[in-house]
Amino acid sequence: MQKGVFDDFVREVMQSREFVAPVKGDQTKEVQESFFTDIKDPSQIEIGQLTYFPIKYYFFAKKEVLFSFHKNRIEEPEIDIPERVFFGLRLCDLNSIKHQDTVFLNNGFRADPYYQARREHSLLIGMHCKKGDDHCFCQSIGLKDFYDLMFFDKDEHTYGIDVGSEKGKAFVDEFRRFFEEKEEGYITPEDKVTINTFKLDTTNIKNLWDNEVWSSLSEKCTACAACNNLCPNCHCFTVEDEVEVGDVTKGQRVRKPAACLVKGFTRVAGDHVFRDDLVGRFRHRIFHQLEFFRDRYGETMCTGCGRCIRGCPAKIDWVTGINTAARKQRGGQE
Amino acid sequence: MAGKEKPENGKLKVGFYNVTGCAGCLLSVIYTEGDFLEFSQQVDIVSFPFIKEKNDDEQELDVAFIEGVVVTKADEETVKKIRERSKMVVALGACAHLGNIPALAKMKKSEDLEYLKYKKEDFNMDREGGPAPLHTLIKIDYTLPGCPPDRDEIRQFMKYLLLGKTFRNYNDPVCVECKLRNNGCLLDQGKICLGPIIAGGCKAVCPSGGLKCYGCRGFVQGIDKEFDGYFRIMEDKGFSLDDVKRALETFMAIDAHKVLDEKFAQYQLNRKAREESYE
Ligand code: SF4
Ligand code: SF4
Ligand code: SF4
Repeated sequence: MQKGVFDDFVREVMQSREFVAPVKGDQTKEVQESFFTDIKDPSQIEIGQLTYFPIKYYFFAKKEVLFSFHKNRIEEPEIDIPERVFFGLRLCDLNSIKHQDTVFLNNGFRADPYYQARREHSLLIGMHCKKGDDHCFCQSIGLKDFYDLMFFDKDEHTYGIDVGSEKGKAFVDEFRRFFEEKEEGYITPEDKVTINTFKLDTTNIKNLWDNEVWSSLSEKCTACAACNNLCPNCHCFTVEDEVEVGDVTKGQRVRKPAACLVKGFTRVAGDHVFRDDLVGRFRHRIFHQLEFFRDRYGETMCTGCGRCIRGCPAKIDWVTGINTAARKQRGGQE
Repeated sequence: MAGKEKPENGKLKVGFYNVTGCAGCLLSVIYTEGDFLEFSQQVDIVSFPFIKEKNDDEQELDVAFIEGVVVTKADEETVKKIRERSKMVVALGACAHLGNIPALAKMKKSEDLEYLKYKKEDFNMDREGGPAPLHTLIKIDYTLPGCPPDRDEIRQFMKYLLLGKTFRNYNDPVCVECKLRNNGCLLDQGKICLGPIIAGGCKAVCPSGGLKCYGCRGFVQGIDKEFDGYFRIMEDKGFSLDDVKRALETFMAIDAHKVLDEKFAQYQLNRKAREESYE
């Protein structure tokens, strides 16, 4: 695609679909830091920086009505999701959607219909990033290609585009006039390179469970759960019934995100709290990200985006913490 | 248990009262709008002097909501009498819960406050010991915190009363709702936001408007190491214990110093122990 026609392309897509892309935040507005939103004009798009907020809430809603009830009658909601094109997703964003799919679609006997509806009406267009910032460590994780289309910054005038799915191909066909056919191999391995200066040592994490690193890292943790809420992969939820004052037999069952860093997360009937100790909760989050998820689904859940470090009020750098601990355990060798 | 006392036949008898306060909490009850009307049809509102002409202040009550802080001898008598004839008492709002702004009087000499009294003849801080939140004088069964209390939480409480279920306050830190409302972080801007140690349920209304959290809903219940983290962040940002105390004084003048002194001493001990263990 010629960069010169990009804005026209966006405008044309917007005729028939929501166009969701990264934009800047504003301290005085509803959303204070960079985020994904359905844009009104191509000039809003800001692809230079990883967004502060994750993409996940488009799929894993902050409040999902599962059904409404009245006495013992239950009614499932009509799930009405507009067609959306997501643009400017980085490979870490895309892989986080892959992981959310694992949890909500391919986990058990039946896909989650609410999540599924949101996903089915989405087309994922990535934007390759060449260089991470101080907190990105995606290269240590080993991300997969997962997209309908992926844009690469070929040169000053051209975007190279890789088609990743049937859905992506159909989309290109629909907007044919903006795309040019290229030969096989046009997107080279060099195009796909991303440089990270920050790295996570993943060689020894299993052996760090009893390490003192967790208590030293969590020294500054306040259990504010910014890390959970900003992580594109965290997917834990809670379910509540909301009844009406006028008739308490009538109401809705809703699903909302839940955060494992707060004490109440593991509170059960009888007021017992399983992970009462903050150090244990801190460790649990990291282990779920780096070990438990992989044990169960074969892939590391963390996608190395660094949002949990950037967004932490204490800027707790658990990646460096793990690196140091792993090195010490090896007797100081790199 | 909320509503356990629900009479077999007939409606819960409910009263809404205030002692020294601004009536904003009672207004918040009314501001639940349709829901308050629905509620008032399902219970018997025996007394609500703020909006009702005819009130019965002798009857036994199933539930009494009290707004305000006890400042005068008359206040004290009022709340004690309400307690005696009520099966359940709910502290409504930050004054009743924590002491709030009136409790700042405790930090000053009373002569210094003379000029603030706008009707000297009938307002007399005649009670020994100064302003006192309700729990220091009577048993409180439930608290609806906040200045003003959150309308949705009031609604929720009404529902639990009608359902006869145990009510639980929201007990995650303010930061949880703050992030879900798409805010950055005021701590990053070098402001002493109290969000991490204060119980949410207010939908982070202050940080969402660019103001730091001043802690009107009281501390998150049951936390300890979380305070260590908070002090550590403050220290790294160059704030002292006194700075944190001052931020907390607005709403918690009575508890701020005591609680923070205890938590800070604990923090220093923990820190020392940790540092020694690393050596
Ligand atoms: S964002 Fe930082 S301070 Fe907050 S819970 Fe996570 S690690 Fe702790
Ligand atoms: S754990 Fe942190 S670095 Fe990993 S995906 Fe979540 S927010 Fe990003
Ligand atoms: S602004 Fe305040 S309430 Fe919001 S995340 Fe930061 S510390 Fe927490």
